Amino acid sequence: MSRLSAVKPAYWISGVVLAIAIVVPLLVSTYAKDKPRLWGFPFFYWYQFLWVFLSAILVSIAYRLVIAEEHKRRAAQGLGDPDRSAPVKEADQ
Amino acid sequence: MNTKVDWVQLIIVVVIFGAVTAMGFMAARWRSAGTLDNLDEWGLGGRGFGTFITWFLLGGDLYTAYTFIAVPAAMYATGAISGFFAVPYTIVVYPIIFIFMSRLWSVSHRNGYVTPADFVGGRYGSKALSLAVAVTGILATMPYIALQLVGMQAVFETMGLGGHNTLAKDLPLLIAFAVLAAYTYSSGLRAPAMIAFVKDGLIYLVIAVAIFYLPHVLGGWDSIFGAAQDKLAKTNPATGKPAGAFIPGATGHSAYWTLALGSALALFMYPHSVTAVLSTKNRNVVRRNAAILPAYSLLLGLLALLGFMAIKANVNVKGLDGVANPQLAIPRLFDQEFPSWFAGIAFAAIAVGALVPAAIMSIAAANLFTRNIYRDFIKPSATPAEEAKVSKLASLMVKLGALVFVLTLDKTLALNFQLLGGIWILQTFPAIVVGLYTRWFHRWALLAGWAVAMVFGTIEAYNVINPVTKKHFGGSLANIPFTHTQAYIALTAFGLNLIVVIVLTLLFRALKLPDGVDTTHPTDYAADRGDPGVQDLPELLDEGPATSKS
Repeated sequence: MSRLSAVKPAYWISGVVLAIAIVVPLLVSTYAKDKPRLWGFPFFYWYQFLWVFLSAILVSIAYRLVIAEEHKRRAAQGLGDPDRSAPVKEADQ
Repeated sequence: MNTKVDWVQLIIVVVIFGAVTAMGFMAARWRSAGTLDNLDEWGLGGRGFGTFITWFLLGGDLYTAYTFIAVPAAMYATGAISGFFAVPYTIVVYPIIFIFMSRLWSVSHRNGYVTPADFVGGRYGSKALSLAVAVTGILATMPYIALQLVGMQAVFETMGLGGHNTLAKDLPLLIAFAVLAAYTYSSGLRAPAMIAFVKDGLIYLVIAVAIFYLPHVLGGWDSIFGAAQDKLAKTNPATGKPAGAFIPGATGHSAYWTLALGSALALFMYPHSVTAVLSTKNRNVVRRNAAILPAYSLLLGLLALLGFMAIKANVNVKGLDGVANPQLAIPRLFDQEFPSWFAGIAFAAIAVGALVPAAIMSIAAANLFTRNIYRDFIKPSATPAEEAKVSKLASLMVKLGALVFVLTLDKTLALNFQLLGGIWILQTFPAIVVGLYTRWFHRWALLAGWAVAMVFGTIEAYNVINPVTKKHFGGSLANIPFTHTQAYIALTAFGLNLIVVIVLTLLFRALKLPDGVDTTHPTDYAADRGDPGVQDLPELLDEGPATSKS
């Protein structure tokens, strides 16, 4: 089952999105320079600050994709919504 | 600069500190009346935390003296490579944990795992591997706590505590240690969690003021960056090279990104971060947090730039013992530029902000000892009371270990403590994270890879000699063997670790060596709250009387 879900578009698209968020900020040669400056900040510094926001956006996109898919999967398996269900105590495990 | 005790600052720090501590204890007591429903289980709670509280707790846990002392100090002393890498580090860490942390949550909650070593033991059916993970967790936490001690020390020293002679020289450090030990011993895990909000509030206040007010009085960002560029380009007499890097040159790129990636992979292997993640309500809280925690990265980046402001402000970083200590850059900057009372508030924020994570770290490490070493190997039949006692003692030992790190290692740059911890803790990554996806790795191969990488990483780090102090463990960067490319030792050792694991797994599988019993089930890894078999986790042992519940 996990093999099947792994090929669902939501999963691979979010995988690509997350990979971008991990790899691009580490490509130092693309941003290790001074100009252009922004409000006195060298490019090297403000570009990385910019990535804080880009990363947050990319992770949010991945979150939405994965959650939607997980809801579908759980509904198909007849499992509840963990965000809504009251804490269930398993009396006899 | 205070050569005498600044009483205004000291009184403010003591008052805020006392108030915050009292609040923590009171909050912990209210809880027993059952009114603080959301907060009640931060011991590694069953009930679990939602997105909002987790954001505070994870943030408060992960952003520590590292953020407001060590990183700016590194920026002050050596600039971008060994300082600003923390920004890409905290950018890439969230997509990384997004990928695997939910699986760890699920499998732990279905099988009652409370520590990473529990999971490894269950997954690979190997007590030896579980022991290796536990020992590494405890060892690696020590230098991380050491960094918190150094942070507190810097604050106390700035207020004028300390002096020239041998005893007075270490006085601020000993005060920091005593405060931490007393605090953890008496409070357990609950009180520090309760004051996470207050602590974060204080820190935000200080940062906001510092970021808007300081550039204004120091002549704007342009001149701050200008001063930093000039200072870092100057030749360091001890090495004959520039003092630091304003923007990493081509040879520094590999150092920069390996420091960032290595630290990011390592962060969520620490026992205290695992504890925090497992205490969330359901498997996706940590993912949601991965999208909103970068707010802290923004703060971290701005704080890092305080190091450059300290350069511009020409802060005196000579310690009371006459030796230059970059860790003093930020406290001295506040001392110099802020009125005494506000500097006092800032110091209280830093001290509490170092103390709380240090307490949480030492308890998480102590629990690792009690659960995965004492109970598994020394006395399986121990009563909860005995375990609680052992846990308290272990937490004291962990702190003493941290103190040993501070006293014996080179502390020119406190950041190195955390990087040293990272070298060790990262070597548990293959067993933990790869284990979340596949059982292909052989348990003995994992053990061998871990051992080789631990030895290699430690030797490499030992061989880094600080050019000024001539001490070993002077840094965390070294050339990758057989190349001239500089990299973070943790990541090089990690690569070696993986190679050993893969080669030996192929070999052991060919020899058909026994594989061990996997007590987890494939469906465990996607289970969520409310599913059959998913339980609230038992509380951490340190909570003593509370262990009977759950």
